[in-house]
Amino acid sequence: MRVSEQSRLTARLGYLQNVTERLDLLQRQLATEKKVHRASDDPAGTVLSLGHRRDIAFEEQMRRNLSSGVAFMNATEAALDGATDALQRVRELTIRAANGPLGPDNRGAIAAEVDQLIGQLAQLANTNFAGAYIFSGHQTRTPAYDVTGSPPTAITFVGDTGERIRQISKQDKVAVNVSGVAVFGNIFDELLTLRDNLNTGATGSVIAASISVLDTAIDRMIDVRAEIGARVNRFEAAQRLSEKSDTDLQMLRAEIEDADITETVLQLSAQDVAFQAALQAIGRTSNMTLLNFLR
Amino acid sequence: MGISIGLDIAVKALRAHQLAVDVASHNLANATSPGFSRQRVLLRPLGIDGSDHFTRDALLGRTGFGVDASDVNRVRDIFLDYQQRQALGQRTQSETQAQALEKAELVFNDPSDDGLAAMLAQFWNAWHDVVNDPEGSAARTTLVHTTTTLASRIQRAHSNLTKQRDDLNYQVDAMGLRINAIADELAQLNFQVKQVELSGEMANDLRDRRDLLLDQLAEIGNIDVTEESDHTVTVKLGNHDLVSGAQSYAVEVVGDGGTPEMKNLQFVSDGVAVDVSSGELRGLLDARDTDMPALIAKLDTLAAKLIESVNTLHKTGYGLDDLAGPPGPERDFFSGTGAADIALHADLLSDPNKIAAAGGAGKPGDGSVALQIAELQMQATLGTQTFEEYYSSMVAVLGADVSRVQGLAASNQLLTNHLEAMRQSVQGVNIDEEVANLHAAQYAYQAAARVITTIDEMLDTLINRMAV
Repeated sequence: MRVSEQSRLTARLGYLQNVTERLDLLQRQLATEKKVHRASDDPAGTVLSLGHRRDIAFEEQMRRNLSSGVAFMNATEAALDGATDALQRVRELTIRAANGPLGPDNRGAIAAEVDQLIGQLAQLANTNFAGAYIFSGHQTRTPAYDVTGSPPTAITFVGDTGERIRQISKQDKVAVNVSGVAVFGNIFDELLTLRDNLNTGATGSVIAASISVLDTAIDRMIDVRAEIGARVNRFEAAQRLSEKSDTDLQMLRAEIEDADITETVLQLSAQDVAFQAALQAIGRTSNMTLLNFLR
Repeated sequence: MGISIGLDIAVKALRAHQLAVDVASHNLANATSPGFSRQRVLLRPLGIDGSDHFTRDALLGRTGFGVDASDVNRVRDIFLDYQQRQALGQRTQSETQAQALEKAELVFNDPSDDGLAAMLAQFWNAWHDVVNDPEGSAARTTLVHTTTTLASRIQRAHSNLTKQRDDLNYQVDAMGLRINAIADELAQLNFQVKQVELSGEMANDLRDRRDLLLDQLAEIGNIDVTEESDHTVTVKLGNHDLVSGAQSYAVEVVGDGGTPEMKNLQFVSDGVAVDVSSGELRGLLDARDTDMPALIAKLDTLAAKLIESVNTLHKTGYGLDDLAGPPGPERDFFSGTGAADIALHADLLSDPNKIAAAGGAGKPGDGSVALQIAELQMQATLGTQTFEEYYSSMVAVLGADVSRVQGLAASNQLLTNHLEAMRQSVQGVNIDEEVANLHAAQYAYQAAARVITTIDEMLDTLINRMAV
């Protein structure tokens, strides 16, 4: 084909343009470590990658839901442990008061300790965790139990049985709280009666009646405690699962979006050689005409 | 045959080769001028009576009458021009569309850590945080910030797309001036070419200029070019006459019937719309009237559905301080109706406690409505798609369009480059060739001069040496 000055010029510019474009792309991939910068770089991959990104963000939120849920339930467990201990102590005192030949002073001392334990229990029932009264159901801005008088004459549940339900995985929604009613039942009324009986010198058999009541309460508390413990385990398992899927998702996302650095570097140096070759070829031939040889 | 005739032949030869030198230098001077076609001197041997040497005189065994060099032609392949003009139109169409779509793609900036998709994810996550801690103010404040960011991001995307569409509109507007300028000059060139060529000369450089303008016009829209017997060209833009002889038909910019701010082109003479099937104008119109509105509509649908579905649930809920109910305060979460004006409702912005997370009055620890809203993330609210699926397919479809027109533009560019190379192969100047021609003409000139010297000597012999 006949070659003209114009076509030679256009062709040279074309070669250089092609090579610099490739160079530019590779440099950008290397600098950003990404091969997909825009959807047009890989439209089908973008759909997948945006899906992975959504799932990564969702799983991250699930882990946040799980860990704050675990913290909430840990606070519940701690309160339950304290309450169980207190009830055990009351039970011991009740047995002593029911069986032993005790004088009024000793009974008075026991009554005083029971009184103190009641206060302790009320405090535990009104545990506040991160701004929420954990046993109040949905009434989390107010204590679960209203304490009247000092020493208390009545302790009334003023919360509700509302469940704090949160999402812990795509499929599962779980409550993290237990209502005060489910944990404490009518134990405060029973304890106040026991204290009054101790103070008024009731007979041993009257006082002994409280023991079975206390047993029921302690059993209930242990049940709730086990239930919470199971939920915590479930949460922790879900958390591990979420972490695992996070790793998988990150890998899938990276496969679509991220540049293979080694490969890119190799390609870049190959393109660099091509670029230099093109420049040299042009430099060598471009100033060559018949004029160089005619006189 | 007389001696004076020999002298005449030599003088003709001198003139012819002088012309050849001029033409070679003209070619060399224009070696890189765009649109230039190299020119050739047509050397023609003459018979004694001025006819072609070989027709009659050769048969009679007579000698010729020298060389005739009156014509200088340009070397050009009009079929390649025709092909190139079609290819140029397709190339500029796809390039224009590619540019418009590439810009639109930048508006969404996805996949990335701070694209609209990430903002949406953060929005749902902020609702989960409210579910976890409905009575706390921290989660509510975060939700307020996240929502404000998301809403302003959607608004910004909408206004950017709208602005890009307006820019395309300005370009359509400006296109009218360009078409008219080219049409006017073509009409003028038609007149000049006709005048020059009537006298039997070739108007090579005028024709080059005319062809260059036709190339430029072909980049704007598909054209149809016919050369008439009077050497003028009749040019149609789309299917409508734009230039006929020395007459050009101007186009004007008019507002679209339905949307007056959108400009269209029409011919002044008869009000017929300029309708082209390729070229920059087609690309601009396609991008302005099809691609951009479709994108804006999708973004609008996304925003409107987000507003509607969140508000519907939010209305059933109760804020921290809402004690009455039912019915509750029936409060909107978003204000606005679409992508242009989506925003967090002003009431919630000033008092995050009004965010209706609870399912009933006086239940500060209840996040059930917030949970329902958070669950919208995974629901097929837009046909069979969730919000994020709708968004990602919108971005991916745009990306596929960008990639498609980019590919088209690249292959069209290859085609025009190839055709241009072929055209240049015919019409382009090759310096070596011209230098060789220059030398040939120089030697021929020297030879002709030598003929004159010879004849001079002959005359000298005849006049001075012959004894009378």
